[in-house]
Amino acid sequence: MIEVVQIAKSFESGAGRRRVRVPAVVDVSFTAPDGAITALLGPNGAGKTTTLRILATLMRPEAGQARIGGIDVTHDPQAVRAATGVLSDARGLYVRLTARENIVYYARLRGVPSAVAARRIGELAELLDMSALLDRRVDGFSTGERMKVALARALIHDPHHLILDEPTNGLDVMSTRALRRLLLQLRDAGKCLLFSTHIMQEVEALCDEIVIVAHGRSVARGSAAALRAQSGCATLEDAFVSLALAAPHAEHA
Amino acid sequence: MTAAWAVFAKELTDALRDRRALAIALAMALLSGPVVFALVSNLVSGIEERVQKREIVLAAQERAPTLVNFLQRAGATVVAAPADWAEQLRSGRLQNAVVVPPEDFEAKLARGETVTVEVAFDESHDRAQPLVSAALRTLQAFNRELGTQRLLARGVSPRVLAAIEVDERNLAAAQARGARLLFIVPWAALIVAIVGALAVAIDVSAGERERGSLEPLLMNPVPAWAIVLGKWAVVMLYSVAIVLLTLAGFLVSIRLITSETLAALMQLGARELWLFCAVLIPFAALMAAVNMLAATFGRTHKEAQTYVSYIAMAAQFSAVVPIFLTVRDTTWQLLVPSVAQLTVLMKALRGEPLSVFDLLLPAAVCATGLLACLYAQARLLTRESIVFSRG
Repeated sequence: MIEVVQIAKSFESGAGRRRVRVPAVVDVSFTAPDGAITALLGPNGAGKTTTLRILATLMRPEAGQARIGGIDVTHDPQAVRAATGVLSDARGLYVRLTARENIVYYARLRGVPSAVAARRIGELAELLDMSALLDRRVDGFSTGERMKVALARALIHDPHHLILDEPTNGLDVMSTRALRRLLLQLRDAGKCLLFSTHIMQEVEALCDEIVIVAHGRSVARGSAAALRAQSGCATLEDAFVSLALAAPHAEHA
Repeated sequence: MTAAWAVFAKELTDALRDRRALAIALAMALLSGPVVFALVSNLVSGIEERVQKREIVLAAQERAPTLVNFLQRAGATVVAAPADWAEQLRSGRLQNAVVVPPEDFEAKLARGETVTVEVAFDESHDRAQPLVSAALRTLQAFNRELGTQRLLARGVSPRVLAAIEVDERNLAAAQARGARLLFIVPWAALIVAIVGALAVAIDVSAGERERGSLEPLLMNPVPAWAIVLGKWAVVMLYSVAIVLLTLAGFLVSIRLITSETLAALMQLGARELWLFCAVLIPFAALMAAVNMLAATFGRTHKEAQTYVSYIAMAAQFSAVVPIFLTVRDTTWQLLVPSVAQLTVLMKALRGEPLSVFDLLLPAAVCATGLLACLYAQARLLTRESIVFSRG
């Protein structure tokens, strides 16, 4: 389970006298239960990526708490990292290594025994339809192929929690379908999945729980049906627009 | 430690597959030896030959048959100066001094008057120095011979004029004579240690940021120091391998370029090569950490290149500072990396004895700097502005 309680984070922007603090996350709270797919839905710049980076332990929140599997992300980041797989905004792969070598590198960093890693790479390649790619160098891979390698890399240690930042960005229909299939399978296996997106269809097709984030705040949460009912709109898109617009703007300090 | 090992293995594979960087590094290591030795040996042997031949270049030699006669008796070769000798002197094509006797040379000589003989040379050509002094010495000998004859003719002993007698004793060791030029040899090795593994240092640091692979890498449950240690070990190994290759190139070159002058000037045998290794390996290890740390501030390869080039420049220039100092081999020189290495290596080449202190002090400074750099880099990798700003 992933729990986020009133976290806040701001960044410095500009230089010298014109330097200002820009709030990225003002007040975000939600819970992502096990055996479910939870989506952070929000427009660009709403604070989704910052929230995920805090959960990935690479940023410290200025206020509030975030816990993954009951462990506070600021208290024991190593334990949180060990229990979590992250497909970050940056998908960076090593282009002079093959897909398999890229994945094996992370397996070794996470202490996965090589026999186990080899077996899991076979399984993940099957699930993601990327067996033919495994022994090719990553240089020249398409966006979709890179995403598959990065996702396999994030899943190599069979994490209980999976965090994905806009996983379908730049993917074609076939890759998107392969990804959805995998996420549903992981959910059915009881994993806790959290991902961010701004694409409505994806959310409707995939998610059990939706958290709408706007201007750095979580403004509404519930299933797609519940959100439609709450806003009195017929489609999720209309519901999203009305809920996101109703949110108070973050004060710029 | 397992994690550091995993990082090391991956970065090594990655670095060895970077063919372009590998080709540049190999070319640098293999070429620097032959090029440096060809230059130095050409420089010293040319001068030596001409001084030995005792060539005296005379303009308008028909004006001074007495001088020509003296020169021939003294065993010097008289060479007629080319018509445009002034031009040739300035351009450096003519290195010898040109002796220009005046038109009334013989007439004044016969009358017993003092004759002014012009000796033209261009001081800005460093290599001309020994040739010029050779010419001046020969003229002085001519002067002495004539003066002695005149005194004897007047019944005065020439000893009256010899109030003192100068006996030159050059204290420089045989090998130290050419030392001014020899700094090029350790300097070349030093430059290789500084820049040999630059491409790798940039790739493992700024490269990770540019590719966007740093962020996912740091999401692994691995302490930052383990990542830094693994990366540094690869850069260090690469750098040391290139330094060793360069030294091997030196060894082959000095065998091939057989110049007696060079051999007399410089001691470069097995002992010196071991000293080169002992001095350069700690330095290469330090520079690996320094370059990596500097490159981490770059968001892209390009930006990182700017940062490391400042360091490379500072290290290369500071290394040659002691050459321009009047007092040699003081303790502070051993405390400054690159200055220390050049100082100690020059001592080794000059055949001077080295103390344990000469080797241990610079190595200790390198080790301290190296640990500080690795620590700083591990801290840097936890900084949000480094992890999340991409090129």
